[in-house]
Amino acid sequence: MMRVCTIAHSPKRPRLAGLFAVISLLGLTGCDDNGGDPTKQIGANPALPQLQQYLIPPIRIARAVGWGKDETPAVPQGLQIHALATGFEHPRSLYVLPNGDVLVVEGNGPKAPIFRPKDVITGWVEWAAGAKAKSANRITLLRDTNGDGIPELRTVFLDHLNSPFGVALVGNDLYVANTDAIIRYPYQEGQTSITAPGTKLADLPGGPIDHHWTKSLVASPDGSKLYVGVGSNSNITENGIGAEYERAAVWEVDRASGAHRIFASGLRNPTGLAWEPESRKLWAVVNERDEIGPDLVPDYLTSVKDGGFYGWPYSYYGQHLDPRVEPQRPDLVAKAIVPDYALSSHVAPLGVAMYNGTELPANYRGGAFVSEHGSWDRTPLNGYKVVFVPFSGGQPSGPAQDVVTGFLDGNDHARGRPVGLAVDRMGGLLIADDVGNTVWRLSSDRQGSPPKPAS
Amino acid sequence: MQHTRMTGTTFMGGTNSGSTAKPRGRPIFPTLVPFPIACFAGALVTDLVYWWTTAVMWERFSIWLITAGLIMAGFAAIAGLIDLATGKRFRRLAWPHMVGYLVALLLSLTNAFVHSRDAYTAVVPTGLMLSGLVVIVLLFTGWLGSTLVYRYRTGAAI
Repeated sequence: MMRVCTIAHSPKRPRLAGLFAVISLLGLTGCDDNGGDPTKQIGANPALPQLQQYLIPPIRIARAVGWGKDETPAVPQGLQIHALATGFEHPRSLYVLPNGDVLVVEGNGPKAPIFRPKDVITGWVEWAAGAKAKSANRITLLRDTNGDGIPELRTVFLDHLNSPFGVALVGNDLYVANTDAIIRYPYQEGQTSITAPGTKLADLPGGPIDHHWTKSLVASPDGSKLYVGVGSNSNITENGIGAEYERAAVWEVDRASGAHRIFASGLRNPTGLAWEPESRKLWAVVNERDEIGPDLVPDYLTSVKDGGFYGWPYSYYGQHLDPRVEPQRPDLVAKAIVPDYALSSHVAPLGVAMYNGTELPANYRGGAFVSEHGSWDRTPLNGYKVVFVPFSGGQPSGPAQDVVTGFLDGNDHARGRPVGLAVDRMGGLLIADDVGNTVWRLSSDRQGSPPKPAS
Repeated sequence: MQHTRMTGTTFMGGTNSGSTAKPRGRPIFPTLVPFPIACFAGALVTDLVYWWTTAVMWERFSIWLITAGLIMAGFAAIAGLIDLATGKRFRRLAWPHMVGYLVALLLSLTNAFVHSRDAYTAVVPTGLMLSGLVVIVLLFTGWLGSTLVYRYRTGAAI
């Protein structure tokens, strides 16, 4: 029960490790506790080790250093990547309008409250990882008129938002999911900025804690409903079960009335939603719980069933109980659904895009790209890349392949971290990078050298 | 007027009355020691209430009490070291007493880490047991101390 562990020894430890080295001198800690091979936790049947609880939870962050001049992420042969645009403020998610304009949502979470001494330490860790940027609270529009992969126009599309994340357009109604509400704005094709005041469609669970603040958003194919990913208000109910009311769920919001119902629950932090084109089912990437081991609990990609319960907080991967939650709910645990596809532990999937374009090689058609923001509590680091999960018959059909890597440099410092994904009008894959403050565009390597990045 | 001054002089005493850590020539350590003891005892109470209610407010009270206790204990330890280095007012050091405090302190430090876990297992069962153990060690140390002072007339009442 009381395993005493510290972060693992490594020649390139982040500065914070020094703090824990001091603590270990006090005789509190002492053993190595590295995570295993992540590939054993990818797919439908991940290996789940025994749960551990720590005196000092392992913290292993990649210090944010940014991209050097002419540095780009690495891609496999046959693909190329270039910066569509740089100089953003913490770009988190992307949305492509019907005319090809790209919306870049720049924002960060509200200030986290301090409930316990631990929250002070958490603040330092996030700051060192480059996650404490001030929220720009705006959406920037990029327009590439001639289709050369370089936007000629860059405007502030919407400003003065409140920690925005999800965007969805239905007809002439543009919806922005702020952290506390869905706001509707009138939009005409070709518009480069919106000055009209928004109208609130529905409140969403926001402050005062707002532990997982991002609200992912996707419209139903017929446009009648909006689906919202609402993250939990804690790691594992440490803020009380009352703070979790209608959280850790996917909401279905009626577009006409703004009324909502819980479409699926027990999803700790559903940060990305997408429609699988073949089965036309809703899929989500979900961030699972921390502090019970380097290989627990694997984050996942799953279909989201109407009325489904996926375990959080009481259990994970079906009926694996979490002892940190009391009182337990055996009635809910009994019906907990095992997610479809594990992505391995602590990778932090923050974006998903089903690919149906023609720009990238044919083997990417019909599958899902998933961006893995990267771990902060696991040694060795995991994630920090964009992977591709092949699909067949509406289900994942093979191991995840690395597509965009090189977000970490040789010293395990983060040059960038991938977040939101979108497929642009030509079929290129766009990747928001909230540490590199860049939007990358992945395309096929046809004409040789990639275009020069715009600034 | 004269009487007051005499009282003051009586308490000054000592050979090193210029020490900043001993404004009146008496050790500061005994003045600070009750604070961590009260904090650690309070944490046992709030732990017990959390165990019964599972309301997170009580768990938060516990970790803040333990943290405050550790900080006050830190100040007390610094004062104690300065007292030792500069003054001779401790008639004789009560070593079992000191060891008792040190054990309680190390247990409380461990307890702070256990209490920094998330949700139920931050308290039940390990945290609660440690909080209880700390109070038992402090009670035993206190009893031992009073025995030394009042029965055998050795050691200091600290």
